[in-house]
Amino acid sequence: MNDGWNIVVCVKQVPDADDVTIDPDTGTLNRSDAPAVLNKPDHNAVESALALRDAVGGTVTAVTMGPPPASAVLQAAVAAGADGGVLLTDRAFGGSDTWPTSLALARAAEELDADVVICGEESTDSSTGQVPPGIAAHNGWAQLTYTESLDPRPDEGVLVGTRDVEGGYERVATALPVVVAMVFGANDPRPAGLHRKIFAETEFEPVQWTAADLGIEDRVGLVNSPTKVGGMDTASPVERERTRVDSVEALYDHLAEVL
Amino acid sequence: MSAASGPGIDVADYRDVWVFVEQHEGEAAPVSWELLAKGRELADETGESLVALVVGDGVAHLAEEAVARGADRALLADDPVFEPYRADPYGEQFRALVEARKPSIVLIGGTHTGRDFAGRVAVPAHAGLTADCTELAVDEEGLLLASRPTFGGSAMATIKCPAHRPQMATVRAGVFDAGEPAEPTENAADAVESVEVVVAEEDTLSTVLERVVGGVVDITDADVIVAGGAGCEGDVTPLVELAEALGGEVAATRAAVEEGWVEPARQVGQTGKTVRPQLYIAAGISGAVQHLEGMNGSDVVVAVNTDPNAPIFEHADYGIVGDLHEVLPALTAMVREKQEVAA
Ligand SMILES: Cc1cc2nc3c(=O)[nH]c(=O)nc-3n(C[C@H](O)[C@H](O)[C@H](O)COP(=O)(O)OP(=O)(O)OC[C@H]3O[C@@H](n4cnc5c(N)ncnc54)[C@H](O)[C@@H]3O)c2cc1C
Ligand SMILES: Nc1ncnc2c1ncn2[C@@H]1O[C@H](COP(=O)(O)O)[C@@H](O)[C@H]1O
Repeated sequence: MNDGWNIVVCVKQVPDADDVTIDPDTGTLNRSDAPAVLNKPDHNAVESALALRDAVGGTVTAVTMGPPPASAVLQAAVAAGADGGVLLTDRAFGGSDTWPTSLALARAAEELDADVVICGEESTDSSTGQVPPGIAAHNGWAQLTYTESLDPRPDEGVLVGTRDVEGGYERVATALPVVVAMVFGANDPRPAGLHRKIFAETEFEPVQWTAADLGIEDRVGLVNSPTKVGGMDTASPVERERTRVDSVEALYDHLAEVL
Repeated sequence: MSAASGPGIDVADYRDVWVFVEQHEGEAAPVSWELLAKGRELADETGESLVALVVGDGVAHLAEEAVARGADRALLADDPVFEPYRADPYGEQFRALVEARKPSIVLIGGTHTGRDFAGRVAVPAHAGLTADCTELAVDEEGLLLASRPTFGGSAMATIKCPAHRPQMATVRAGVFDAGEPAEPTENAADAVESVEVVVAEEDTLSTVLERVVGGVVDITDADVIVAGGAGCEGDVTPLVELAEALGGEVAATRAAVEEGWVEPARQVGQTGKTVRPQLYIAAGISGAVQHLEGMNGSDVVVAVNTDPNAPIFEHADYGIVGDLHEVLPALTAMVREKQEVAA
């Protein structure tokens, strides 16, 4: 493995969560037509992928599954330094929950002959964190979730990850291929270089694969998704007094009633 | 790995409620007992058995404790290959057990280990898995109704899994009540069944080189929580002192945890703990939806913030505009003074 590793980074397009607030009176979401952006935790995934390539050589390929406009997140990854991007897009994917989504990404990773697949901790719109272990399980590969940092050992064909476990950390050595989910905020993503940015915007064209290209047209979409949304309720907003007090004494008096 | 079940399976073949008892070095994660108590309610409603799944090395005592805490039976997979936790051997063992025993419902803690495990095992089982549920119930047909906040907490989505089994859910620590601890009774061991271990060390894909874990605080039991955010600007002493004076615990936003000011086990919110104290003091916290999700169930919320327009004020009972480095010490002094008068 001296010619470097094939590194695949999974990036997802999500509605921008930054301006999102809850209206305290109605309990509904103020979303001001949130624009679609690259899932925040995936910036950390892209940075780890690039840092890994810096360390061992090889290529970084960004992959996303979504409708055609989702290729914008591939463009963002290429601007940051990824070598290429693959868009998994097909009507057949519509309605997929995490089971078929991770299957499509797993098949793409296989197709790309991945040594390492890097994901974000979770997506801000579905926040399950299930896709990375799902990819690993579909392919029977090793997994490293909640990873803080990576220490590649290319001579042994091993990737060591430091995982955040509640109350501490652990260092785990895994065989390749392996699927990694980076902790959100684990690193400082590098800014996109100007030339790379121009390239991403003017020249970059993603490769497109359909479900049939991946040989999974009968195993994706709504029918192959075990979970179904059975109902949506507006969460009743929590009633709060919303009293402003202007002195610590007044605050103490209110607290004395509680304590 | 092939799908063990999927469309076309007979869901009637699947029964019983399983709870995965997460443990590390023989010590159960508190969320395991919270889920066991909830699992008992669900099993009583569906008229099925509650089964504790205990996997580890030298963990028979946890299987017995699970029985003492209300499980009808415990399945015990006891082998050195299971210590410490690794996704692939745990996943293989679970797959084999699900194929052989066909549980209908499986509950798993929403810890890092629990989510690592749940995501791995749901795939080969072709199970339906819902993450971070805050309500669990069963409908008339015994179908699991797994509800979770969505759209930043403004709505609750109820997820069902009609045609696949098992129906799996992860739940964060602190959402359900663990009930009373129980000492294993004399015949608890009779309800424990040792199962065949299907994984061998040489087939595993990973090796844990080092594991460093200190004592893990549990903020979910605290009656009073003093939480700080980015507004602490590196100095959390005011939080610590007020928490001490009130007999409470310190907690934090993700921002404060990422800065390293407060340990991760004290993070409240979507990717941290869910807390429901009688009093939650939010100091230097803006009130992001991901934070609110973890503390909205508190009885009384107090906000301290220099910005009069901070969203947190809309989600607080009492708000004071001011610098936490002045407000909290003043409040602490007042609390101590009254305590001395009372003593
Ligand atoms: C996938 C995902 C998961 C997340 N999970 C969580 C989670 O579990 N928990 C969580 O908390 N966040 C979570 N977040 C982050 C969340 O979106 C916010 O970024 C975070 O909660 C902000 O923390 P903060 O309020 O401490 O900081 P800020 O938003 O920066 O707010 C700091 C506040 O302090 C005030 N302030 C400044 N100085 C002072 C002073 N001297 N005295 C008083 N007030 C002062 C400011 O006016 C401001 O309102 C998550 C985000 C994502 C994308
Ligand atoms: N549709 C998708 N396309 C590409 N990557 C995805 C997709 N969905 C999830 N992921 C990856 O899986 C991670 C966890 O997402 P989730 O399991 O949805 O919380 C994300 O941070 C991405 O890296």
